[in-house]
Amino acid sequence: MAGNDKKSKNFLVSKIGGQQLIVLGVIVALFAFFCIKSDIFRSYTTILSMLDFSYFVAFMAIGVTFALITGGNDLSIGTGMVCYGIIGGFFVTKLGLPVTVGFVITILCGVLMGCFNGFLVAILELPPFIATLSTMMIARGLGSIVTGGSSITWPADAWFKNIFKISIGEAKYPLGFVWVVLAVTIMTIFLRHTKPGRYIIAIGSNKEATRLSGVNVIKWHMLAYIICGMFTGFAGVAYSATFPTIAAGSGAGLELDAICAAIIGGTSMYGGSGTIFGTLLGVYVMSILKTGLPLIGLQANWQQIITGIVLLVAVFIDVVRGKKN
Amino acid sequence: MEKIKQNPIVKKIGFNRLVLICVMILMYLMFGAVCAMMGRASFFTIKRIFNALNYAYFLGFLALGVTFVIATGGIDFSMGPVMFCSALVSGYCLTQYGVPLALCIVISILVGAVFGMLNGYLVAYWKMPSFITSMASMMLAKGLGSVFTKTQSVSWPQITDPVNGWYRKLVKITVGDATIPTGLIIFAVISIICAILLNNTKAGRYITCLGSNKEAVRLSGVDVRKWEALAYVICSMLAGVAAIFYVGSYSVVQPGLGDTFNNEAIASCVMGGTSMAGGIASIGGTFIGVMIVALLQEGIRAVGLQIDYQYVVTGAIVLVAVYADIRSRKRRN
Amino acid sequence: MGEVILTMKGIDKSFPGVHALDHVDLEIRKGEVLALMGENGAGKSTLMKVLTGIYKKDEGTITYEGKEIEFENPSAAQEAGVIIVHQELNMLSHLTVAQNIFIGREIMKGSMIDDAKMNEEAAKLFKKLNIDIDPAETMGNLTVGKQQMCEIAKAISHEAKVIIFDEPSAALTETEIEELFKIIRDLRDKGMAMVYISHRMDEIKAITDRVTVMRDGTYVGTIITKDSTKDDIINMMVGRVIYEDPKTQSNVPKDAPVVLKVEHLNAGKMVKDVSFELHKGEILGFSGLMGAGRTETARALFGADPKDSGDIYINGQKVDIKSPQDAVKYGIGYLSEDRKRYGVVVGKTVAENTTMATMEKFMKGLFINKKKEDEVAWTHVKALKTKTPTVDTEVVNLSGGNQQKVVIAKWLTRDCDILIFDEPTRGIDIGAKSEIYTLMNELVAQGKSIIMISSEMTEVLRMSDRVIVMCEGRKTGEIDISEATQENIMHMATLRK
Repeated sequence: MAGNDKKSKNFLVSKIGGQQLIVLGVIVALFAFFCIKSDIFRSYTTILSMLDFSYFVAFMAIGVTFALITGGNDLSIGTGMVCYGIIGGFFVTKLGLPVTVGFVITILCGVLMGCFNGFLVAILELPPFIATLSTMMIARGLGSIVTGGSSITWPADAWFKNIFKISIGEAKYPLGFVWVVLAVTIMTIFLRHTKPGRYIIAIGSNKEATRLSGVNVIKWHMLAYIICGMFTGFAGVAYSATFPTIAAGSGAGLELDAICAAIIGGTSMYGGSGTIFGTLLGVYVMSILKTGLPLIGLQANWQQIITGIVLLVAVFIDVVRGKKN
Repeated sequence: MEKIKQNPIVKKIGFNRLVLICVMILMYLMFGAVCAMMGRASFFTIKRIFNALNYAYFLGFLALGVTFVIATGGIDFSMGPVMFCSALVSGYCLTQYGVPLALCIVISILVGAVFGMLNGYLVAYWKMPSFITSMASMMLAKGLGSVFTKTQSVSWPQITDPVNGWYRKLVKITVGDATIPTGLIIFAVISIICAILLNNTKAGRYITCLGSNKEAVRLSGVDVRKWEALAYVICSMLAGVAAIFYVGSYSVVQPGLGDTFNNEAIASCVMGGTSMAGGIASIGGTFIGVMIVALLQEGIRAVGLQIDYQYVVTGAIVLVAVYADIRSRKRRN
Repeated sequence: MGEVILTMKGIDKSFPGVHALDHVDLEIRKGEVLALMGENGAGKSTLMKVLTGIYKKDEGTITYEGKEIEFENPSAAQEAGVIIVHQELNMLSHLTVAQNIFIGREIMKGSMIDDAKMNEEAAKLFKKLNIDIDPAETMGNLTVGKQQMCEIAKAISHEAKVIIFDEPSAALTETEIEELFKIIRDLRDKGMAMVYISHRMDEIKAITDRVTVMRDGTYVGTIITKDSTKDDIINMMVGRVIYEDPKTQSNVPKDAPVVLKVEHLNAGKMVKDVSFELHKGEILGFSGLMGAGRTETARALFGADPKDSGDIYINGQKVDIKSPQDAVKYGIGYLSEDRKRYGVVVGKTVAENTTMATMEKFMKGLFINKKKEDEVAWTHVKALKTKTPTVDTEVVNLSGGNQQKVVIAKWLTRDCDILIFDEPTRGIDIGAKSEIYTLMNELVAQGKSIIMISSEMTEVLRMSDRVIVMCEGRKTGEIDISEATQENIMHMATLRK
């Protein structure tokens, strides 16, 4: 057996990981399939809009990967993202603060919610899914309460929309993708090569053993949720930049897209393993499916069904993988 | 304090449930006082009570159902959307295809049963984690309901409808000036049936036991997978029943909604003393929990706040109830 | 003879209802391997837990390197150089070997972890210890033996001065044990002080210098290994108890029918080609050391774990047992060694647990006949002398012995003909023990048959009519009680193939 292990470990596989390669293959195959099937899919505008819709999911997915790696979860990211975007936008539109401050507030809200989730999970030791389900409801309510139930329209300032899609002359470029790649790179380094990242993985692998090794598990466990919250804040910014108006109380269900993406990318719900790069690949599997399927005749209301099915398949693979170990 | 707890009547009802009833009464009085102080219309009217009850019926069936699932140590996040999916599918059959109403009610429950079987099969036989599995089927329920009605909302007939209006009598009957809350009677009866099912039948016994220690029950020669799956089927079928009472109160169903009710049903359940860790469940507690949530909903509207406050409050209730549950379990061990 | 590095004197520790340690002494010296021996429940693990700060002692002193100390927690003990290598490994299976070794004290390069350097250091460490493991390998991919080596390496890298091995060989293969011993000898030569907890006599003889024996939470004595025989140690361990009331001959008539026949049972790594017969009215003892595959055999037979091959005959009829349901249908009952996990549902009442396997007998139409349930539960409570205020008491409130009685009541209600008792008296006090023995004798007198798995030699010799001995998943011996002695059972239990 050991011989086989060595043999299969060629450079690419060991650098990227088996599942990621498969997912990369799936992406290419899906892309090719839709390109052949649909003329519209092939157009630059479609690709551009697909990327537009992927940024906020990508940020959420990067964040939730950290929660998943600890063996937990964060369901508050979907409604949370919308809530933070609304609160930030409220300060800009109603109180006339600069857009930059609005962004900072949006991100800060995320961090605060992350702290609260971390407090519930790491210190009070509530089950993560039920704790974050509650905060999901709280976030959903808060956003609407702040605006009195009305939606928020961020100002259409040129520079602010340009962060994610820059226009040079006639052409538009998906600048947001650069930020996503940058975030993936930074967080990969963080997860793989720094102490906090190492301890977050260790907590997901065996919390008690980590504690016995003299690691302050409560602190690092909390940090995972704070990171998750912070990235949800980033997602809030991306969401605000992508959509002209944000409807109060929306966003439920978007967390599943992000969780789904992370699990497809090889992050285990049982904790201890996961990569940010894998999560990114997962995000694009979801994006391509959601953009492509409507174009070959499935209406938009199939999107939820697609999310549901893909989630089931991803979790099933994870369960089977978990049994093997 | 100990003396009160040892009182035979208190013991019979359960101390915690008595506290809950007191909380409910206090809440009722408090909302009344706030309404009076703010110069709003009186809260102490029959209409308010009926409004609250309308909310309590469908929520109640959801909560009764999820009590079984939580008793196994699992969770079901799909029941709210499944309720909507049931209401959409059967309502569409009724209004578009002219299927007889009685049959539509059966369809509604059947749609629930199908989702229940899916959840139960995946969780019990394939050992998939219940929370993420039920979230996936939540998406399926939302999507399928929407696809079935082609993204249209469905309006169920009013009471004035000569042929199909009768189902509204399941919710309430007006005789002269008096209104009889038939829904409350049906809800109470089904609650009692559920209590008997949970406490006095083999199914209920095995469901709570396997929630407490699944492996020990399996090693006693019990087919734990079957009974675990059954809990999910019961839950989703009750979501199908809830659908009838939802449309009986509110008529219109829109596709793609329903997930907020999950949290409220779970909140009712956990408040009533059902443990998230499984093994301990109380139908009576759930019943009172439902009444509290329904009262809260009506109260928040009566004092003129947005419905969003309710989300925040129920979220907080779940957190407190789950924390209390964990604390009490830690103390016991 | 090295200098004394650590002394424990007059250590006393009580838990509610149990006097776990009664003024125990222990002396650990540099450059020496000290064996700590005793039967299950003798207090070895408790003593080590007191030493490493998991439990607080009630009385006594611990002197380490000339100073009196008391470790706050395992991390503090680790810091000071007293490290325990656990029976259950505390590893992070998703991280690499080097990452495991340096968890909590990573080597940094600026604000980044220097994994390359850590791999290098780990490799150096392994080289020093003559261990052949790739530091960059993921921990989860290693065998248990290798994982254990990593734990030892981790201990060494912590600049351990005292290493405690808690049953290190339980899950190891022959060659892995050899490797382990080589490392231990190396360390001894380098002046390390070590405590070796084990049940395996031949290992004690092979690797240790002195033996400290404990019995029922008390200190019995310490002897030099090479000046003593196996019997000396066994005598110290078991004291007089071993000679109490052993069965001298089988109570089973020669022509008693075979109720259960198992042929060539294979299941996983721990059950290899096991065949045996069980007669009506017989107590068949299963003896062997820890990890001999006895529980696994019972679980495979009962359908709790999947079996790979093998035939099972009940009363001459071939049966197909795929799940516990099937086993129960054929009249087999299983009492697990781990009552709280596999025996009782602790959150439920005595009555509910009693009827768990026999619900259908207690149904009145669709409903449970609670009156009948209570009656039957009471009958068993009285017959088994279970100490419980009512049958509505939750099992969590009962003591270990009484919980065991509830499990027995469960299978008695079912009226099973074949009962598998897996370590029936583990964690049960002396009084309740003899009650359970009496009960087992009554059961076989009624014509039931019992398979009894036990790690306690006294129990095996006292209860069994016939003894089957297992070692490493194989049956290595079968012997009638009239010929069974501690020695020949021990001999068979260490017959490695």
